[in-house]
Amino acid sequence: MEMKSSKTAAQAVMRQLIITWTDFESRLLKVPIIERIMRDQLQLEDYRQILLNHRQQVIEGSRWIARASSSIDNRYPELRSTFIRHANTEHRDYQMLDANYLSVGGDVETLANSEKNIGSEALSAWMFHQASQPNPFDLLGAMFIIEGLGKQFARTFAQKIQKQLRLSDDQVSFYLYHADHDEEHIGELEDALQSGILSDDGLAGRIAKTARVTARLYLLQLEELGNY
Amino acid sequence: MQDAYITGVGRFLPGPTISNKEVEDYIGCIHGQPSAFRAATLRKNGIKTRHYAVDIEGNHLYTNAQMAAEAIRAAAANAKHDVASLQLLATSTTQGDLLVPGFASAVHGELGIPPLELASFQSVCASSMMAIKNAYLNIRSGDKQTAAACGSEFSSRWFRPGFYESCVAEEEARKPPIDLDFLRWTLSDGAGALFIEPNPKSDGVSLRCDWIDLQSFADRFDPCMYAGSSSNVPGENLPWSHYASPQEAYQAGAMALRQDFELLYKMFPVWLGYYLSLMDKHGFNPESIDYYLPHYSAKSLGEEMKKLMKSAGAMIPEERWFNNLTTVGNTGSASIFLMLEELLREQDLQPGQTILCFVPESGRCIASFMHLTVVTNKD
Repeated sequence: MEMKSSKTAAQAVMRQLIITWTDFESRLLKVPIIERIMRDQLQLEDYRQILLNHRQQVIEGSRWIARASSSIDNRYPELRSTFIRHANTEHRDYQMLDANYLSVGGDVETLANSEKNIGSEALSAWMFHQASQPNPFDLLGAMFIIEGLGKQFARTFAQKIQKQLRLSDDQVSFYLYHADHDEEHIGELEDALQSGILSDDGLAGRIAKTARVTARLYLLQLEELGNY
Repeated sequence: MQDAYITGVGRFLPGPTISNKEVEDYIGCIHGQPSAFRAATLRKNGIKTRHYAVDIEGNHLYTNAQMAAEAIRAAAANAKHDVASLQLLATSTTQGDLLVPGFASAVHGELGIPPLELASFQSVCASSMMAIKNAYLNIRSGDKQTAAACGSEFSSRWFRPGFYESCVAEEEARKPPIDLDFLRWTLSDGAGALFIEPNPKSDGVSLRCDWIDLQSFADRFDPCMYAGSSSNVPGENLPWSHYASPQEAYQAGAMALRQDFELLYKMFPVWLGYYLSLMDKHGFNPESIDYYLPHYSAKSLGEEMKKLMKSAGAMIPEERWFNNLTTVGNTGSASIFLMLEELLREQDLQPGQTILCFVPESGRCIASFMHLTVVTNKD
């Protein structure tokens, strides 16, 4: 009985997350830079700017997951392990992105001096704020949105960029890698949701809301490309 | 409010059953050259037979309005009512026979029944649900006691070679652009109709209409299945009516029916999201749906989507999926009517069973669902 209800509760959260994610993903189509990619109008300069802007979030991503793991108390050792593993897997991903950037004519100095655009500032501040709360499992909602983007959108993105700019696999390896690997994280999320944490009153609603806020701020980050 | 019951279903499929091998005998070949994509496209869409409202010589056997009228007569007969008793007629089609006036007027004219209220819906596949919902609400509100909703298509007329020869060069006719060629192998002709009234029929199976929900996502999608412009890219999408003459629009390739595949695949998750939101809104459990009638085949739903649906507890077991796309073809706005007609004719429906109908529209991204419950009476 307990098993069944935790599964049903997890499914209800998954529904909310998928609803938010599908809305987010389709709204991406109207973000100017994505619209241009979809219409084959991308310039090499645009790709460099995408990488430079995305880099900030990639660096911060593993840092807020690490912060979140330090906010998880001893009642949830398994989940803390999962968060730590996740942070560990991703914390050097930005190096792949840097290599892509340099391989398409980006310069080291610009990379070193790059800062967050105003959307990334909002996204990052939000993530760190949530990650600093006790047992911030609502961040599972944020992970679903960000990983979902990796899984579903990164491949189209990589292929279109490659085709339009005639780039080799190793020049778009960051996006190709995420298209291939983010699926595993979705499985981890399902396991986490079924681990019993949903018996915490109100967590299901907080996961869904954190997903909605994260999706909105992620869009903002893409809308504000180049606005530092 | 009174209830609304589907008490009659009717269909009209023109001409003989046409096999895959015969398709080009009916719709013709662009510049006289058969398409090299025939087998691949048919494998993809899964269609084995269909009907066309043209004969092998290219003569038109019916108008779109005549097919609709035939289906409505059949639905009224199935409901054991005189078609002249109709108080409301709601039609749906992708394209009427004339540009002006509205299609419902043409269907009323064909039926030749006394004056009644009309609602004329023009969209693509989901126009069917708009018509059904209009009829349903008119009955529910008590404003009408009898209503018919119909869907009909004469798609094959778009596929005649003359519609393409300005935008497909002779040397590419064997391998035409996929956005043009796919639909030639996919869409076909036919009509279906429902008779709707406030009470179940006294003898036999009726379907109580529980709810109908429809949503458009045109705020985020450009046209995906479209005709009347040579492109769906903003800035290059001059409507046919803005050219100096219809000839110029034709020369520019604005008169052909097209499908943008990349956009189509981006719509699947959106439709899924809408379905999930309806699960929560109406509180239905996929396990409790006895028949699921989707206007597409299970094949087109990728493994990834199925996995997502399972994780959300939203997957309706595949053995409960029912559609007749393989045998009657993709008839656009007529398809949901044709599915319901066949379901009622061939399945042994039991009181209390539930039916969920799903009609997505790739035109500019619409999704619509209808929930029905089986009711039976004996005289």
